[in-house]
Amino acid sequence: MGSNQQAQLPRRIIKESQRLLSEPAPGIKAVPNEDNLRYFSVEIDGPGSSPYEGGKFRLELFLPEDYPMAAPKVRFLTKIYHPNIDKLGRICLDILKDKWSPALQIRTVLLSIQALLSAPNPDDPLAENVAKHWKENEAEAVREARAWTMRWAR
Amino acid sequence: MEDDSDYEDSYVASDVEDYPTSEDGDYGYDPQTEPEISMRRAAYTVLSEEELKLRQQEALQQVMQVLSISEGEAVRVLRHCKWDVNRVNEEWFADTEALRDKIGLVDEQPTGSGRRKESCGICFDEFWVSEMHAAPCNHSFCRGCWKGYVHTAISGGPAVLSLRCPLPDCSAAVPAALVTAVSDPKHREKYHLYSLRSFVEDNQRLEWCPAPGCENAVEALHEVSNEAMDVTCRCGSSFCFNCKEEAHRPVDCETVKKWIIKNSAESENLNWILANTKPCPKCKRPIEKNQGCMHMSCSQCKHEFCWLCLASWQEHGERTGGFYNCNKYESAKKRGDYDAESLKREHARVSLQRYMHYYQRWAENDRARSQALSSKAEANDKKLEVLSEFVATPTSQLKFILDAWAQVVECRRILKWTYAYGYYRFGDNIPDEDTAQKQQQGFFEFNQGQAEMFLEKLNGVVEKDLDNLVEEFKREPGLSEVAPDGSVFVDQASSPERQAVWSKFREQLIGLTEVTRMHFVKLVQELEKGLDQLLAFYSEQPEAEAEAEVEPAAVSTAEASGSATPAQQATAKAPKRSKRSRISSRAAADKASNSAAAFSLQEADSELEAEAGYWQCRRCTVINRDLNSQSCSMCAQNRRGPISAS
Repeated sequence: MGSNQQAQLPRRIIKESQRLLSEPAPGIKAVPNEDNLRYFSVEIDGPGSSPYEGGKFRLELFLPEDYPMAAPKVRFLTKIYHPNIDKLGRICLDILKDKWSPALQIRTVLLSIQALLSAPNPDDPLAENVAKHWKENEAEAVREARAWTMRWAR
Repeated sequence: MEDDSDYEDSYVASDVEDYPTSEDGDYGYDPQTEPEISMRRAAYTVLSEEELKLRQQEALQQVMQVLSISEGEAVRVLRHCKWDVNRVNEEWFADTEALRDKIGLVDEQPTGSGRRKESCGICFDEFWVSEMHAAPCNHSFCRGCWKGYVHTAISGGPAVLSLRCPLPDCSAAVPAALVTAVSDPKHREKYHLYSLRSFVEDNQRLEWCPAPGCENAVEALHEVSNEAMDVTCRCGSSFCFNCKEEAHRPVDCETVKKWIIKNSAESENLNWILANTKPCPKCKRPIEKNQGCMHMSCSQCKHEFCWLCLASWQEHGERTGGFYNCNKYESAKKRGDYDAESLKREHARVSLQRYMHYYQRWAENDRARSQALSSKAEANDKKLEVLSEFVATPTSQLKFILDAWAQVVECRRILKWTYAYGYYRFGDNIPDEDTAQKQQQGFFEFNQGQAEMFLEKLNGVVEKDLDNLVEEFKREPGLSEVAPDGSVFVDQASSPERQAVWSKFREQLIGLTEVTRMHFVKLVQELEKGLDQLLAFYSEQPEAEAEAEVEPAAVSTAEASGSATPAQQATAKAPKRSKRSRISSRAAADKASNSAAAFSLQEADSELEAEAGYWQCRRCTVINRDLNSQSCSMCAQNRRGPISAS
């Protein structure tokens, strides 16, 4: 099945997959699934000097049929305490929605997610209670995020 | 747009001061007069799709010439300025760079040599540069990827008209020429459609005709306000330019909107929409938030706003006290804002009965209007022809029957909306001490009842009486029998007896049509002027110079607060008081010893009649043209005296 699919896979996806493997972005691993080359298992290292430092966050990334005209679908699999990521792992990021452009790539998307971990944006919240916590007592929220990282992202 | 003469096809509804329009018609009813009852000047023109395209092209050419820019750029600028050429000039010359920047107009970048290969940033394949395409920013992508990009955007809706270069952070506008060059015919057509729709929908002076299948648009020939404005499209459908509902004057748009929502048969659907969607604060399209954060961005107009407080996202955040300022439910609940919920429910139960009263009457008139419409069509299709033979009159001279039906249709529409008006205008329980309200309600219901009574009469005559007459004619067929030699030997149709019967009927119907029209004109005027102002007007002017357009205002409050529902009461009373309303008003006024109406009604009557150029018999309703005559030419009823038995 794998080879059959590979034949239908747009060249762009093949090239992107190859580059992700040959020149991975620092702190980001993305490996296509053997049975479905549109499905990637992703691991992002928590960025330094963020409450996620030291954690390894697993994500899933799926390239829909009309990719790259439509954005990839990305979701956190590892639990994470972050104002822009809800308990189902969904991410509030503009380039995954209306700011998507076909000139963006898997690599740019993952780098943006990594940047989101460095700079949470509680003014544009997805997980409301987390955002509230962040706004009311940032130090405590950061401690909580660190605790979650230790507990779930090891 | 200052020069109305440009628009030969303009419809200008006449001011009410022009009524009645015809003095030269045989029966005082000018069939040219639309049965439209509208008082405010509404100047507009109907444009077909072709005409719209021409208009759009005109605007583009004008902007291209004045600003010396390309057509693609002109489209962007005009769209940004809502297709208002004056605004384009203002904004462009105020700060050209800022405007160009805002809408993504960039100076053409030099293209390198086409004789080299470059990798397409989307599919990663290599192409000759000469085979690639780019917006003026010169970020090249291959034709296939452009096609995919453009098609995806076109499928995404009208926002494609603001399409930008695919390169992230490049805001260059993609010119229409590029869009059409790379797309297939199906998508291209859709793109052109969006463009035309933008011309109409973004333009404050243009509105589509909402009738199904109609592709015309209506252009207002003056500054548009937020007030109701009835217009009639070339397709025959009437609608309100402001709210796009069916024509509903004299009732305002807000009332109509509330009423329609309230009546929606799909109230469950509506509840769902209310519960699960919010209108985009900018374009008002309902938005369902099915996932994601509170930072919303409308898929249609791209407006960004906060889902909770609906304010623009740009004004959001730290400056306004942060996101949690929007989260007011808890504090609102603490304040007791929601404790009223149960009270509200109780209130709803109480008012349901009142609502049903108005709703049933609204719905009945709505139904009657549809029936009248089909009766009119039926009359036009066959009845007139049959009749024409029975009375030896060409169908062209039977048009007054269609006019009568048209009047019924229009009056049903107005009457229907007066019930919505009545529902909202007067509360559930007017306290007894609020005599002003009571008086206004009584006044309104009396006039509504009067108008309704004449309408019922007219409806009866043009429907039942006419049918009976036709049946009668059928029994003694008037159809001329033609002998083989061609000679006609029976001509019942032109017999003097039948002609007399027919002529009487005709005069009655024409008169009744006119009288009914006048009653509705008055009703509309009263509602548009505002009842309180009218009543105030009369209480300030006991000697009322009785402006012809207003009715003396006085109905005893005792009458209006009877046990029967007010409208029923008005209707039920109407036949007994089949005098002209101002005369019955006098009786009521006397009873109430209300000084407000203590002026000479007879004088007011005469003035009204003089202005109208006729007086109407109170018994048989015929129109008498001789203003000096004191008795009806039809039934000899005394002009001012009590109604004698027939």
